[in-house]
Amino acid sequence: MAWLSRPLTLVGLVLLAHGCYSAHEHTVLSSTSAQHSTSPSTAALPLDIYIETAVATFLLCVGLVLGSGTLKPIEWHTWAGKIEREADRSLSGSGDADDATGNPFSALEARSGFINIHKLHGDFVKYSQQLGK
Amino acid sequence: MPPLLLQPHASLSHAEALQVAQQAPEFLRKNPASYSASPLLSLFSPPENSKIWTIYENLLLACLRTGDNTTAHQCLERLVVRFGASDERIAALEGLVKEAEATNNGELEKVLKEYEAILAEDNTNTPIAKRRIALLRTMGKTAESIEALVQYLDFASTDAEAWIELADLYLSQGLYSQAIYAQEEALVIAPNAWNLHARLGEILLMAAESGSEGNPQNYLAGSLKRFCRSIELSDDYLRGYYGLKRVTDKLLNGDSKAKKSSESDEFTLPETSTIEKLNLAATKKLGDIVRNYDAKAPLWQGYDAGEVAAARAYLSNTSQKVVR
Repeated sequence: MAWLSRPLTLVGLVLLAHGCYSAHEHTVLSSTSAQHSTSPSTAALPLDIYIETAVATFLLCVGLVLGSGTLKPIEWHTWAGKIEREADRSLSGSGDADDATGNPFSALEARSGFINIHKLHGDFVKYSQQLGK
Repeated sequence: MPPLLLQPHASLSHAEALQVAQQAPEFLRKNPASYSASPLLSLFSPPENSKIWTIYENLLLACLRTGDNTTAHQCLERLVVRFGASDERIAALEGLVKEAEATNNGELEKVLKEYEAILAEDNTNTPIAKRRIALLRTMGKTAESIEALVQYLDFASTDAEAWIELADLYLSQGLYSQAIYAQEEALVIAPNAWNLHARLGEILLMAAESGSEGNPQNYLAGSLKRFCRSIELSDDYLRGYYGLKRVTDKLLNGDSKAKKSSESDEFTLPETSTIEKLNLAATKKLGDIVRNYDAKAPLWQGYDAGEVAAARAYLSNTSQKVVR
């Protein structure tokens, strides 16, 4: 449905502009004609201009809503499940920076403040020796 | 999952650490050695953001881990230029480099003395206090390390990381009830952390399996509760569902003798039919996760390959038992 968004918005904008122009023309005309005739009905806008403006606004709204991106989850478990399930997409360029933070609590379990660098290095040496074999 | 460079370093595997360390020289080359505070010069230099310093820290750790000490020193130098050598966190990183370069116990002892000298001046220096505790653990002095950590937690009782470290230390000594207490304290500080709930569930399960102290049925009931909470907080959480399946399998296969005594305890087990339903739900979800991961579904690739493999092995293992 995303392809509909731009044409709809465009049609809506054109219709709205047309409606405004018609309303303006009508008021100018009726104000000049009011000097000649005193009937009150000519001062009111014709119904088709009302309808045109309302339809144009509706089309604009639908077009803009269709064109907006997908909504972000606001429920905690949906958001957390998304983090767990999906791989990082920021490398491919489609994800934005907010998505790339991952589980905010994983740092608590990783415990960088207490990192045991000596053991990690020792394990890494063993690992690289295994790779070399 | 976030890009490797921004993930907390200790959670990376050796292969990933190597990958990060290999990116270090290029990252150092691409970024300027220092950022100017003058507004005029900053117009011409690339913008500075907070992620850069996290990346420098991770690169430093990765280089130390892979033994690339010259690049590690370059990373440290940039951090020192930016934040100054007197910064507590930078001082801890400097100590870390010294620890990594120490080749024998005597040199480690020397680093420990330096930490103690800093702490004698200012005993609220948290990064250094943490390094001292970690170094004591490295040197195999677990009892002293626990003692120091308990003292540290006396004044920094809202430090969830330290509580988890304490739980891990106790667990390494087989002191399950203390480990459970420390992990619960961490959960009080971060009640929405689904991974901490799963971790507590795992500790309770280990306690139940060791069966050394307390009522195993009681531990299993607690573990069931924790795993349920972790999957309540996070849909499709592999670790939570895996644990839930382990616990419900154990409860369903377990003997019913111990069940009677659990009524007076703080956790009561749910009905057997509920446990069966939970077991079925967990099996179904694990199957879904494994299938989608194997099918390379684009929205299901965030899982750890090792965890998925474990789930797959466990699923096939239990389904064989059912067939028999």
